[in-house]
Amino acid sequence: MQAPISFTVSGQQLWLSPMKAIFWESRRFLIVSDLHFGKTGHFRKSGIAVPQHVYRNDLQRLFSLVQYFQPSGIIIVGDFFHSAANREADLFAKWRNDHSGIGIRLVKGNHDILPIEWYRENNIDLHDGILRDGPFCFTHEWTPDLSQANEQYIFSGHIHPGVRISGQGRQSLRLPCFYFDQNHAILPAFGDFTGLAIIEPSPEARVFVLAEQQIISLQ
Amino acid sequence: MKLQQTIGYNVIRQWLTEKGFSPFPFQEETWEAIHSRQSGLVNAPTGYGKTFSVFLGALIRFINENPKDYQRLSKNKLQLLWVTPLRALAKDIGRAMEEVISELGMQWKVGIRNGDTSTAERQKQKAHMPEILIITPESLHLLLAQKGYPEIFQSLQVIAVDEWHELLGSKRGVQVELALSRIISLQQSQSQTTNRERQTISVFAISATIGNLEQAREVLLSPLNKMGRTITAKLPKTTEVYSILPDEIEKYPWAGHLGIRLVDKIVPIIRKSTTTLLFINTRGMSERWYQELLHAAPDLAGAIALHHGSIEQELRIWVEEALHTARLKCVVCTASLDLGVDFRPVETVIQVGSPKGVARFLQRAGRSGHQPGAPSRIYFLPTHSLELVEASALKEAIRQNIIESREPMILCFDVLLQYLCTLAISEGFDPEQIFREVKSTFCFREMTTEEWEQVLQFLTTGGKALQQYDDYHKVEIINNLYRITNRRIAMRHRMHIGTIVSDAMLKVKFISGGYVGVIEEWFISRLEPGESFTLAGRNLELVMIKDMTVLVRKSTAKKSIVPSWQGGRMPLSANLGKLLREQFNAAGSGRTGIPELDVLQPLFELQSELSKVPRADELLIEQIETKDGFHLFVFPFEGRLVHEAMAAILSSRISRRQPITFSFAMNDYGFELLSDQPIPVDDSNVYELFSPENLFADIQRSVNSTEMAKRKFRDIAVIGGLIFQGYPGEHKKARHLQSSASLIFKVFQEYDPDNLLMRQAYREVFDQQMEETRLREMLHRIRQSRIILEFPERLTPFCFPIKVDSMRENLTSEKLEDRIKKMQSQLLK
Repeated sequence: MQAPISFTVSGQQLWLSPMKAIFWESRRFLIVSDLHFGKTGHFRKSGIAVPQHVYRNDLQRLFSLVQYFQPSGIIIVGDFFHSAANREADLFAKWRNDHSGIGIRLVKGNHDILPIEWYRENNIDLHDGILRDGPFCFTHEWTPDLSQANEQYIFSGHIHPGVRISGQGRQSLRLPCFYFDQNHAILPAFGDFTGLAIIEPSPEARVFVLAEQQIISLQ
Repeated sequence: MKLQQTIGYNVIRQWLTEKGFSPFPFQEETWEAIHSRQSGLVNAPTGYGKTFSVFLGALIRFINENPKDYQRLSKNKLQLLWVTPLRALAKDIGRAMEEVISELGMQWKVGIRNGDTSTAERQKQKAHMPEILIITPESLHLLLAQKGYPEIFQSLQVIAVDEWHELLGSKRGVQVELALSRIISLQQSQSQTTNRERQTISVFAISATIGNLEQAREVLLSPLNKMGRTITAKLPKTTEVYSILPDEIEKYPWAGHLGIRLVDKIVPIIRKSTTTLLFINTRGMSERWYQELLHAAPDLAGAIALHHGSIEQELRIWVEEALHTARLKCVVCTASLDLGVDFRPVETVIQVGSPKGVARFLQRAGRSGHQPGAPSRIYFLPTHSLELVEASALKEAIRQNIIESREPMILCFDVLLQYLCTLAISEGFDPEQIFREVKSTFCFREMTTEEWEQVLQFLTTGGKALQQYDDYHKVEIINNLYRITNRRIAMRHRMHIGTIVSDAMLKVKFISGGYVGVIEEWFISRLEPGESFTLAGRNLELVMIKDMTVLVRKSTAKKSIVPSWQGGRMPLSANLGKLLREQFNAAGSGRTGIPELDVLQPLFELQSELSKVPRADELLIEQIETKDGFHLFVFPFEGRLVHEAMAAILSSRISRRQPITFSFAMNDYGFELLSDQPIPVDDSNVYELFSPENLFADIQRSVNSTEMAKRKFRDIAVIGGLIFQGYPGEHKKARHLQSSASLIFKVFQEYDPDNLLMRQAYREVFDQQMEETRLREMLHRIRQSRIILEFPERLTPFCFPIKVDSMRENLTSEKLEDRIKKMQSQLLK
């Protein structure tokens, strides 16, 4: 696995990890998006036999990130849990218990439909709509209007961004990416059992592609 | 007792005589076989009373068993199960049967069971099964999903599987095999207890001629463990083939262009015959042809109709009715009218573009001239000039009577998983019992106990899981019976029974109300509101997409986009490929006396001037440099699937010698490798690059097998129950269960690559997508051939269509047309 790479936004030092997370150095926050935990469980409960080990791996990746960066907290910009509660939520709860020192702040996404009590029991701070912290603000789905109304730089998720890279001779690859535009960023989906939406990067944007545990700066 | 002495026989004979008919020998032979409780296969062309062979046989059997009161007996429970692949066939066959029954004064009822059957009708059937049930393979499985299904089949005497050649070689055929294994086993266990001779069931396939008729019979009868007999109608059927020759030969041919220009040539043909069927290979082109025909012959408006799979069903039924009554001069159709029903008024058939195989061409030709003895007349209209060579090859194939085989499918675990869930919903299944039955089918006779265990495990535990944190829930074991008890899962399963997987389709409706048809989601998602497209022969303007429905209004726009549906691009068959090479062989040496080839001489001359026309024992390779990069064109004439595989293997072999990347393009005649650097293929290495050695390893190494498996996996995942396509009309509720096949594939590839369904995807790639056997044979053939390397200074007539096809993907049709015209004019300078 490649080491995280350095990137600066609004004068803040960020580290982009190929494990699909951003580490915000000065606040010691880990920023992730679209974990879709419990998605395999949700499918399996309905008789659709996707391998559950996808979820175990996602959890392990989050664990490794916490080990590596030793963050004071985690900011999740939405779609933390995929659907209604299931036993995979229990597995997360067990993990959460072992890491009770870390604050988790969740900006609710369209998938986050668990009962309020569940978040409370697991010591997760809920935020509807927008979470502000210093020069940054966090929301699930970025819209141009939001940037109009906001001075702060916005971190978002929701769309599971990816880019298509075309080589000569009409070859192409689809890869997940971090997307940093002038006034907002879109994070790749953290969960492995998630799809991709191909975006058209604006010319000013910086794009970092994730390819086989590597981060490559595209533009 | 001999058949001829039986009452049943004489009743039927007399009825026929009264109508002025006498039975064909093959019909009597079938009656005889059913009379003596045998099974087998009836091979007869359409229009020769193949329906009457098995159907009347079943009647004779019943009359003989009830000689005194056969006319009086009603509610006799199910006697004859008639499996047919097409819904459209059911009604006509049913009608013909009812006519006979009423003329004989019998009380039998005919029921139809398919996706169109109403719930009320189903309930009625449940209370009183009709004596004859005409059913699709999917509905047959739905019947097996009903509680108490064994009861239905207790009285069954005869099973007929119509158009078996169409089902064989598809997963629908596997569905039939599995259902038969269940029904036959039910009957056998029953006859053990009652021990009555009348319980011996007769199973008959009805099939058009294919290359492997004996095997076709073996596959169907496999669960019976009987050889059975093949009954062939020895009827002389002549097929007349005429090619429509363009006045001017395009030296740079490209698919789709020429055809439309020949529209004026077919108008007189249409006028001349009572009714003409115009077969077009794709739905998209059929829409265009319909428009062009109306243009060319405005007076025929109202007498021309369009018929394809995306058109609203009512309209299709109307077209079929109008065909029967000769109210239409011409129907523009796709494979949707390939099968079955006899439209007697059809006098002429026109095939536009390559039919890709001899069998399909003959089948389409057979749609005309239905009266016994009348010749089938078919016109071949090329969509690009090189296709004329195919016309010549087809004529030769008919002369030599070379017809393709349909390879039965093997070890389709996706269908098996679906079938087992079906049984788990209704009565539950005993694994030992069902294992024996499944093993008795042709499809699964090679299945190992390990594989069976994996299938059961997949159903009950859902593969790899984190034991205590898992909620997997599907099949439970209750008193040694495997059952699905969850009603939601059962309901979802019922809705998903079937093996035909289509792209996500959206309904198209007028904003003012009224249903137009269906359209692929990917096509409509590329349109902006306000843009126009053509469907069902109408120009429509997109208003908006709402809740899986495309809302449209009538468009007045002159230009509209014709959707190109992606389904059903058939590859050229091996037989036709071989004949094609022979035709080129003949054409390469000058005048042949064959009109199709002679008219192409200017094209062949240009080809020889720039490069070469390959002989049958030669493989032509052209290397050309253009501003797009370095092209390598290879012409094996083996069909696009084999070409796709070969392109992958060749590129992998080349790139192992030196780092180089390629993109591919292919058509039925050859394939192209394109790179941004010179491609190192020359006479020092070319035989090695085309060697059959290490083929297997190279296939596995070539990246494409993963890509291909991903595509195959889509169908497998849907059939095997891994993809939930949503409830009709209420997709929103199930949003959290939605996923794409490529996502599921990715996850399995990484976390459970040995999964049964993944292995099946790769096997399907080998067997069908790559046609591995054919690929191997091709390489052995090439080893015996001379490889000709040419370095033309510009694109040749042979490679031009491949180049055009590869451009097509990224461009809209109009832009494409402009660009091609420009290219043509540049090349001809």
